Amino acid sequence: MARVSKGKYTLQVALIMLVYVALMLFEWPLVAKTDGLALRTLLALLPTLPVVVVIGLMARLVMRGDELEQRMHLIALSIAVGVVSAASIIGAFLAIARVWQVGGDVLVWVFPALCLVYGVTRVALVRRLTGTWDFWNC
Amino acid sequence: MKNRVRELREAHGWSQGTLAEHLDVSRQTINAIETGKYDPSLPLAFKLARLFKQRIESMFEPDEGRQ
Repeated sequence: MARVSKGKYTLQVALIMLVYVALMLFEWPLVAKTDGLALRTLLALLPTLPVVVVIGLMARLVMRGDELEQRMHLIALSIAVGVVSAASIIGAFLAIARVWQVGGDVLVWVFPALCLVYGVTRVALVRRLTGTWDFWNC
Repeated sequence: MKNRVRELREAHGWSQGTLAEHLDVSRQTINAIETGKYDPSLPLAFKLARLFKQRIESMFEPDEGRQ
């Protein structure tokens, strides 16, 4: 499999995230004003489409990376899953104990939190394994 | 693991980017191998050895100071 062009990947993700932002700005406010269950469900799930496409692009980037890139992706992803899982279970227990009042909408932060921890860990790994800050080309 | 990748690459007059293209890996991976921060897998080590027409054991040597 040919390696993924980082420039092309960046452009694709940027364009899809623009679609996501546009949906959140213009389509999402309609959800609260819509009465029909089917239409409301459709409108509520529409912003997940670009997110799923981005996840697919990320998966392709990882699958077509070389062995060191895949290793760094795997370590970063493992750490991100561990951190977010620990935070989730702590939050869940605190919510059950009624120490922390939290609604179901907090789930919307799971994916961004995963991406954040994953990104920070990747930068640290690139620095450690290559001695550079050039994480974009790695 | 100590290795002679940098020495052999420079002997061929190649940049890290050129070697990376030959092996279908990123330039940073070549950099990590040359600096000893990453030990390549056996298939990649064999590709390197074949590319430089070397025996694998003449290119890679265990670093006694490290586990």
